[in-house]
Amino acid sequence: MTLHLTHEQLCELILADSSLQPDGESSNGDSDIVQAHLRACLICSAELRSLRDSLSHFRDASISYAQQEFAHSYARRSSIAPPHSYLSQPLYWTAAAVVCVAALFPLSMHRQRPISGDAPTISAAPQQTAESDAALLADIDQDISADVPAPMQPLADPTAGTTSATSTSDQRSN
Amino acid sequence: MTQQAPATSLEDMDSIIATYEQRVFRFHLISVRDRDLAQSLTQDTFVRAWAARHTFRGDCSISTWLMRIALNLIRDHTRTDRFRFWKRVSETAIDVSDISSHVPHRDSSLESRLIASEQMALVWESVAQLSDRQRSVFLLRFLEELELSEIATITGLPISTVKTHLYRALATIRARHNATTHKESL
Repeated sequence: MTLHLTHEQLCELILADSSLQPDGESSNGDSDIVQAHLRACLICSAELRSLRDSLSHFRDASISYAQQEFAHSYARRSSIAPPHSYLSQPLYWTAAAVVCVAALFPLSMHRQRPISGDAPTISAAPQQTAESDAALLADIDQDISADVPAPMQPLADPTAGTTSATSTSDQRSN
Repeated sequence: MTQQAPATSLEDMDSIIATYEQRVFRFHLISVRDRDLAQSLTQDTFVRAWAARHTFRGDCSISTWLMRIALNLIRDHTRTDRFRFWKRVSETAIDVSDISSHVPHRDSSLESRLIASEQMALVWESVAQLSDRQRSVFLLRFLEELELSEIATITGLPISTVKTHLYRALATIRARHNATTHKESL
Protein backbone atom coordinates (compact mmCIF):
# COMPACT_ATOMS: atom_id res chain seq x y z
CA MET A 1 0.00 0.00 0.00
CA THR A 2 1.43 3.38 -1.04
CA LEU A 3 0.79 6.35 1.24
CA HIS A 4 0.17 9.58 -0.64
CA LEU A 5 0.83 13.10 0.52
CA THR A 6 -1.54 14.45 3.11
CA HIS A 7 -3.69 17.50 2.35
CA GLU A 8 -1.51 19.62 4.62
CA GLN A 9 1.66 18.52 2.85
CA LEU A 10 0.11 19.29 -0.52
CA CYS A 11 -1.06 22.70 0.70
CA GLU A 12 2.39 23.48 2.10
CA LEU A 13 3.90 22.73 -1.29
CA ILE A 14 1.40 25.02 -3.03
CA LEU A 15 1.75 27.81 -0.48
CA ALA A 16 5.53 27.59 -0.60
CA ASP A 17 5.43 28.22 -4.31
CA SER A 18 4.94 31.96 -4.15
CA SER A 19 5.41 32.54 -7.84
CA LEU A 20 2.60 30.07 -8.65
CA GLN A 21 4.27 29.15 -11.86
CA PRO A 22 3.00 25.87 -13.30
CA ASP A 23 6.46 24.46 -13.75
CA GLY A 24 7.99 26.20 -10.78
CA GLU A 25 10.44 24.47 -8.57
CA SER A 26 9.53 23.63 -5.02
CA SER A 27 10.91 25.82 -2.28
CA ASN A 28 13.78 24.93 -0.03
CA GLY A 29 11.41 24.28 2.85
CA ASP A 30 10.10 21.08 1.36
CA SER A 31 11.36 18.08 3.17
CA ASP A 32 13.40 15.47 1.44
CA ILE A 33 10.74 12.89 2.20
CA VAL A 34 8.08 14.85 0.40
CA GLN A 35 10.36 15.46 -2.56
CA ALA A 36 11.29 11.83 -2.71
CA HIS A 37 7.63 10.87 -2.65
CA LEU A 38 6.80 13.30 -5.44
CA ARG A 39 9.52 11.79 -7.59
CA ALA A 40 8.21 8.31 -6.95
CA CYS A 41 4.43 8.85 -6.90
CA LEU A 42 2.95 9.84 -10.23
CA ILE A 43 -0.49 10.39 -8.71
CA CYS A 44 0.65 13.00 -6.20
CA SER A 45 2.99 14.73 -8.61
CA ALA A 46 0.28 14.90 -11.27
CA GLU A 47 -2.27 16.28 -8.82
CA LEU A 48 0.18 18.85 -7.52
CA ARG A 49 1.06 19.93 -11.04
CA SER A 50 -2.59 20.15 -12.01
CA LEU A 51 -3.51 22.22 -8.96
CA ARG A 52 -0.59 24.57 -9.57
CA ASP A 53 -1.64 24.94 -13.19
CA SER A 54 -5.24 25.66 -12.20
CA LEU A 55 -4.25 28.31 -9.68
CA SER A 56 -1.84 29.85 -12.14
CA HIS A 57 -4.46 30.04 -14.90
CA PHE A 58 -6.97 31.51 -12.47
CA ARG A 59 -4.53 34.19 -11.38
CA ASP A 60 -3.33 35.08 -14.87
CA ALA A 61 -6.85 35.23 -16.31
CA SER A 62 -8.12 37.30 -13.37
CA ILE A 63 -5.28 39.80 -13.68
CA SER A 64 -5.70 40.09 -17.43
CA TYR A 65 -9.45 40.52 -17.16
CA ALA A 66 -9.15 43.07 -14.36
CA GLN A 67 -6.63 45.07 -16.40
CA GLN A 68 -9.03 45.18 -19.32
CA GLU A 69 -11.95 46.22 -17.14
CA PHE A 70 -9.87 48.86 -15.40
CA ALA A 71 -8.85 50.30 -18.76
CA HIS A 72 -12.49 50.39 -19.87
CA SER A 73 -13.68 52.06 -16.68
CA TYR A 74 -10.83 54.57 -16.89
CA ALA A 75 -11.75 55.37 -20.50
CA ARG A 76 -15.41 55.82 -19.57
CA ARG A 77 -14.51 58.18 -16.75
CA SER A 78 -12.25 60.17 -19.06
CA SER A 79 -14.93 60.48 -21.73
CA ILE A 80 -17.51 61.99 -19.35
CA ALA A 81 -15.69 65.33 -19.00
CA PRO A 82 -13.85 66.38 -22.16
CA PRO A 83 -10.40 67.86 -21.66
CA HIS A 84 -10.00 71.59 -21.99
CA SER A 85 -8.26 71.20 -25.33
CA TYR A 86 -11.49 69.89 -26.82
CA LEU A 87 -13.10 73.31 -26.41
CA SER A 88 -10.74 74.77 -29.00
CA GLN A 89 -11.45 72.14 -31.61
CA PRO A 90 -13.81 73.07 -34.48
CA LEU A 91 -15.29 69.59 -34.48
CA TYR A 92 -16.40 70.00 -30.86
CA TRP A 93 -18.20 73.28 -31.62
CA THR A 94 -19.70 71.90 -34.83
CA ALA A 95 -21.14 68.98 -32.93
CA ALA A 96 -22.49 71.34 -30.27
CA ALA A 97 -24.14 73.53 -32.94
CA VAL A 98 -25.72 70.50 -34.59
CA VAL A 99 -27.12 69.40 -31.26
CA CYS A 100 -28.59 72.86 -30.60
CA VAL A 101 -30.18 73.05 -34.05
CA ALA A 102 -31.60 69.58 -33.65
CA ALA A 103 -33.09 70.57 -30.32
CA LEU A 104 -34.65 73.80 -31.68
CA PHE A 105 -35.96 72.31 -34.93
CA PRO A 106 -39.17 70.82 -33.50
CA LEU A 107 -40.01 74.14 -31.80
CA SER A 108 -39.60 76.11 -35.02
CA MET A 109 -41.76 73.62 -36.89
CA HIS A 110 -44.47 74.01 -34.29
CA ARG A 111 -44.48 77.84 -34.29
CA GLN A 112 -43.99 78.56 -37.99
CA ARG A 113 -46.53 76.22 -39.49
CA PRO A 114 -47.45 77.88 -42.90
CA ILE A 115 -51.07 78.72 -43.82
CA SER A 116 -51.91 76.66 -46.85
CA GLY A 117 -53.52 78.07 -50.04
CA ASP A 118 -56.54 75.83 -49.71
CA ALA A 119 -57.61 77.53 -46.55
CA PRO A 120 -60.05 80.05 -48.23
CA THR A 121 -61.57 77.27 -50.28
CA ILE A 122 -62.04 75.18 -47.22
CA SER A 123 -63.58 78.11 -45.31
CA ALA A 124 -65.84 79.20 -48.25
CA ALA A 125 -67.79 76.00 -48.31
CA PRO A 126 -69.15 76.41 -44.78
CA GLN A 127 -69.95 80.05 -45.59
CA GLN A 128 -72.07 79.04 -48.61
CA THR A 129 -73.81 76.42 -46.57
CA ALA A 130 -74.62 79.04 -43.95
CA GLU A 131 -76.09 81.38 -46.57
CA SER A 132 -78.29 78.69 -48.07
CA ASP A 133 -79.43 77.72 -44.61
CA ALA A 134 -80.37 81.33 -43.90
CA ALA A 135 -82.37 81.59 -47.11
CA LEU A 136 -84.15 78.34 -46.37
CA LEU A 137 -85.00 79.53 -42.89
CA ALA A 138 -86.28 82.83 -44.30
CA ASP A 139 -88.59 80.97 -46.71
CA ILE A 140 -89.89 78.84 -43.88
CA ASP A 141 -90.53 81.90 -41.73
CA GLN A 142 -92.35 83.55 -44.58
CA ASP A 143 -94.53 80.51 -45.11
CA ILE A 144 -95.33 80.23 -41.42
CA SER A 145 -96.09 83.93 -41.06
CA ALA A 146 -98.42 83.90 -44.06
CA ASP A 147 -102.18 83.75 -43.34
CA VAL A 148 -102.76 81.01 -45.85
CA PRO A 149 -100.17 78.47 -46.73
CA ALA A 150 -98.99 78.55 -50.29
CA PRO A 151 -100.52 75.20 -51.32
CA MET A 152 -103.97 76.35 -50.09
CA GLN A 153 -103.76 79.79 -51.70
CA PRO A 154 -106.30 78.97 -54.52
CA LEU A 155 -108.95 78.14 -51.87
CA ALA A 156 -108.44 81.39 -49.97
CA ASP A 157 -110.25 83.57 -52.59
CA PRO A 158 -113.09 81.61 -54.25
CA THR A 159 -114.34 84.67 -56.11
CA ALA A 160 -111.19 85.02 -57.97
CA GLY A 161 -111.94 81.83 -59.77
CA THR A 162 -115.60 82.79 -60.49
CA THR A 163 -114.64 86.10 -61.99
CA SER A 164 -112.27 84.52 -64.26
CA ALA A 165 -114.84 81.92 -65.26
CA THR A 166 -117.46 84.61 -65.97
CA SER A 167 -115.12 86.53 -68.06
CA THR A 168 -114.34 83.43 -69.88
CA SER A 169 -118.00 82.71 -70.56
CA ASP A 170 -118.46 86.34 -71.61
CA GLN A 171 -115.73 85.95 -74.02
CA ARG A 172 -117.34 82.78 -75.35
CA SER A 173 -120.68 84.42 -75.71
CA ASN A 174 -119.10 87.19 -77.52
CA MET B 1 8.08 44.37 4.10
CA THR B 2 8.85 47.97 3.30
CA GLN B 3 7.46 50.51 5.77
CA GLN B 4 6.47 53.79 4.20
CA ALA B 5 6.24 57.21 5.71
CA PRO B 6 2.76 57.58 7.14
CA ALA B 7 1.25 61.04 7.15
CA THR B 8 3.34 62.88 4.60
CA SER B 9 2.85 60.43 1.76
CA LEU B 10 -0.86 59.98 2.50
CA GLU B 11 -1.45 63.68 1.90
CA ASP B 12 -0.60 63.11 -1.74
CA MET B 13 -3.71 61.09 -2.48
CA ASP B 14 -3.41 61.56 -6.24
CA SER B 15 -0.18 59.62 -6.39
CA ILE B 16 -1.57 56.97 -4.04
CA ILE B 17 -4.59 56.50 -6.29
CA ALA B 18 -2.38 56.34 -9.36
CA THR B 19 -0.20 53.71 -7.69
CA TYR B 20 -2.77 51.46 -6.05
CA GLU B 21 -6.09 52.01 -7.84
CA GLN B 22 -5.67 49.19 -10.33
CA ARG B 23 -4.70 46.71 -7.64
CA VAL B 24 -7.59 47.70 -5.36
CA PHE B 25 -10.00 47.56 -8.30
CA ARG B 26 -8.75 44.08 -9.22
CA PHE B 27 -9.28 42.78 -5.70
CA HIS B 28 -12.79 44.25 -5.59
CA LEU B 29 -13.65 42.98 -9.07
CA ILE B 30 -12.68 39.37 -8.43
CA SER B 31 -14.19 39.45 -4.95
CA VAL B 32 -17.65 40.78 -5.80
CA ARG B 33 -17.61 39.77 -9.49
CA ASP B 34 -19.46 42.85 -10.63
CA ARG B 35 -17.91 45.66 -12.66
CA ASP B 36 -20.02 48.58 -11.47
CA LEU B 37 -19.90 47.49 -7.87
CA ALA B 38 -16.14 47.01 -8.02
CA GLN B 39 -15.73 50.51 -9.42
CA SER B 40 -17.94 51.95 -6.71
CA LEU B 41 -16.12 50.08 -3.96
CA THR B 42 -12.76 51.20 -5.32
CA GLN B 43 -13.84 54.82 -5.11
CA ASP B 44 -15.19 54.25 -1.61
CA THR B 45 -11.87 52.71 -0.59
CA PHE B 46 -9.93 55.84 -1.44
CA VAL B 47 -12.59 58.14 -0.01
CA ARG B 48 -12.42 56.25 3.26
CA ALA B 49 -8.63 56.21 3.13
CA TRP B 50 -8.57 59.98 2.68
CA ALA B 51 -10.98 60.46 5.56
CA ALA B 52 -8.96 58.16 7.82
CA ARG B 53 -5.48 59.22 6.72
CA HIS B 54 -4.70 60.71 10.12
CA THR B 55 -5.27 57.34 11.79
CA PHE B 56 -2.58 55.65 9.70
CA ARG B 57 0.27 54.88 12.10
CA GLY B 58 2.72 53.52 9.58
CA ASP B 59 2.87 50.10 11.23
CA CYS B 60 2.20 48.51 7.84
CA SER B 61 2.62 49.49 4.22
CA ILE B 62 0.12 51.75 2.48
CA SER B 63 -0.79 48.86 0.24
CA THR B 64 -1.64 46.66 3.22
CA TRP B 65 -3.60 49.51 4.82
CA LEU B 66 -5.60 50.08 1.63
CA MET B 67 -6.31 46.39 1.23
CA ARG B 68 -7.59 46.27 4.78
CA ILE B 69 -9.99 49.13 4.00
CA ALA B 70 -11.02 47.38 0.80
CA LEU B 71 -11.64 44.11 2.61
CA ASN B 72 -13.77 45.82 5.26
CA LEU B 73 -15.85 47.51 2.55
CA ILE B 74 -16.41 44.19 0.80
CA ARG B 75 -17.35 42.56 4.09
CA ASP B 76 -19.80 45.32 4.95
CA HIS B 77 -21.34 45.29 1.51
CA THR B 78 -21.66 41.56 0.91
CA ARG B 79 -23.39 41.01 4.24
CA THR B 80 -26.44 42.99 3.20
CA ASP B 81 -29.52 41.52 1.58
CA ARG B 82 -29.41 44.34 -0.93
CA PHE B 83 -26.12 43.00 -2.26
CA ARG B 84 -27.53 39.48 -2.66
CA PHE B 85 -30.55 40.85 -4.52
CA TRP B 86 -28.40 43.10 -6.70
CA LYS B 87 -26.06 40.22 -7.52
CA ARG B 88 -28.98 38.20 -8.84
CA VAL B 89 -30.35 40.94 -11.07
CA SER B 90 -27.19 42.81 -12.01
CA GLU B 91 -26.34 42.99 -15.70
CA THR B 92 -22.71 43.78 -15.01
CA ALA B 93 -22.01 40.59 -13.10
CA ILE B 94 -19.01 38.65 -14.38
CA ASP B 95 -19.60 35.24 -15.85
CA VAL B 96 -16.96 32.55 -16.15
CA SER B 97 -17.19 32.87 -19.93
CA ASP B 98 -16.08 36.51 -19.65
CA ILE B 99 -12.87 35.57 -17.95
CA SER B 100 -12.06 32.26 -19.63
CA SER B 101 -11.00 34.07 -22.78
CA HIS B 102 -8.21 35.70 -20.77
CA VAL B 103 -6.48 32.45 -19.93
CA PRO B 104 -2.99 32.76 -21.39
CA HIS B 105 -2.14 30.04 -23.84
CA ARG B 106 1.49 29.22 -23.64
CA ASP B 107 0.85 26.19 -25.78
CA SER B 108 -1.03 26.82 -28.97
CA SER B 109 -2.59 23.38 -29.24
CA LEU B 110 -6.35 23.27 -28.97
CA GLU B 111 -6.29 20.56 -26.33
CA SER B 112 -4.00 22.58 -24.08
CA ARG B 113 -6.20 25.62 -24.43
CA LEU B 114 -9.29 23.64 -23.50
CA ILE B 115 -7.60 22.11 -20.49
CA ALA B 116 -6.37 25.52 -19.33
CA SER B 117 -9.85 27.02 -19.66
CA GLU B 118 -11.39 24.13 -17.75
CA GLN B 119 -8.82 24.43 -14.98
CA MET B 120 -9.45 28.15 -14.67
CA ALA B 121 -13.22 27.63 -14.63
CA LEU B 122 -12.84 24.97 -11.95
CA VAL B 123 -11.05 27.37 -9.61
CA TRP B 124 -13.41 30.24 -10.52
CA GLU B 125 -16.48 28.19 -9.61
CA SER B 126 -14.85 26.73 -6.52
CA VAL B 127 -14.01 30.20 -5.20
CA ALA B 128 -17.69 31.10 -5.47
CA GLN B 129 -18.49 28.27 -3.08
CA LEU B 130 -16.10 29.46 -0.39
CA SER B 131 -17.19 31.39 2.64
CA ASP B 132 -16.54 35.13 2.59
CA ARG B 133 -13.56 34.79 4.90
CA GLN B 134 -12.04 31.89 2.97
CA ARG B 135 -12.55 33.70 -0.33
CA SER B 136 -10.86 36.85 0.90
CA VAL B 137 -7.89 34.96 2.28
CA PHE B 138 -7.65 32.84 -0.84
CA LEU B 139 -7.69 35.87 -3.16
CA LEU B 140 -5.15 37.74 -1.07
CA ARG B 141 -2.82 34.78 -1.35
CA PHE B 142 -3.38 33.36 -4.81
CA LEU B 143 -4.46 36.50 -6.68
CA GLU B 144 -2.50 39.24 -4.94
CA GLU B 145 0.32 36.88 -3.92
CA LEU B 146 0.68 38.40 -0.48
CA GLU B 147 2.72 36.82 2.27
CA LEU B 148 0.84 35.09 5.07
CA SER B 149 1.99 37.78 7.52
CA GLU B 150 0.52 40.50 5.29
CA ILE B 151 -2.74 38.60 4.98
CA ALA B 152 -2.82 38.26 8.76
CA THR B 153 -2.37 42.03 9.10
CA ILE B 154 -5.08 42.80 6.56
CA THR B 155 -7.63 40.38 7.97
CA GLY B 156 -6.71 40.80 11.61
CA LEU B 157 -6.38 37.05 11.96
CA PRO B 158 -3.49 35.01 13.38
CA ILE B 159 -1.24 33.41 10.77
CA SER B 160 -2.34 29.96 11.89
CA THR B 161 -5.97 30.90 11.21
CA VAL B 162 -5.01 32.30 7.82
CA LYS B 163 -3.35 28.99 6.98
CA THR B 164 -6.41 27.09 8.14
CA HIS B 165 -8.63 29.15 5.83
CA LEU B 166 -6.24 28.51 2.97
CA TYR B 167 -6.18 24.77 3.67
CA ARG B 168 -9.98 24.65 3.63
CA ALA B 169 -10.20 26.72 0.47
CA LEU B 170 -7.69 24.45 -1.23
CA ALA B 171 -9.62 21.42 0.03
CA THR B 172 -12.72 22.71 -1.74
CA ILE B 173 -10.79 23.26 -4.96
CA ARG B 174 -9.06 19.91 -4.63
CA ALA B 175 -12.34 18.05 -4.07
CA ARG B 176 -13.87 19.63 -7.14
CA HIS B 177 -10.72 18.98 -9.11
CA ASN B 178 -10.69 15.30 -8.13
CA ALA B 179 -14.39 14.96 -8.90
CA THR B 180 -13.86 16.40 -12.37
CA THR B 181 -10.84 14.18 -12.98
CA HIS B 182 -12.73 11.12 -11.77
CA LYS B 183 -15.70 11.95 -14.02
CA GLU B 184 -13.45 12.35 -17.06
CA SER B 185 -11.69 9.05 -16.38
CA LEU B 186 -14.98 7.11 -16.39
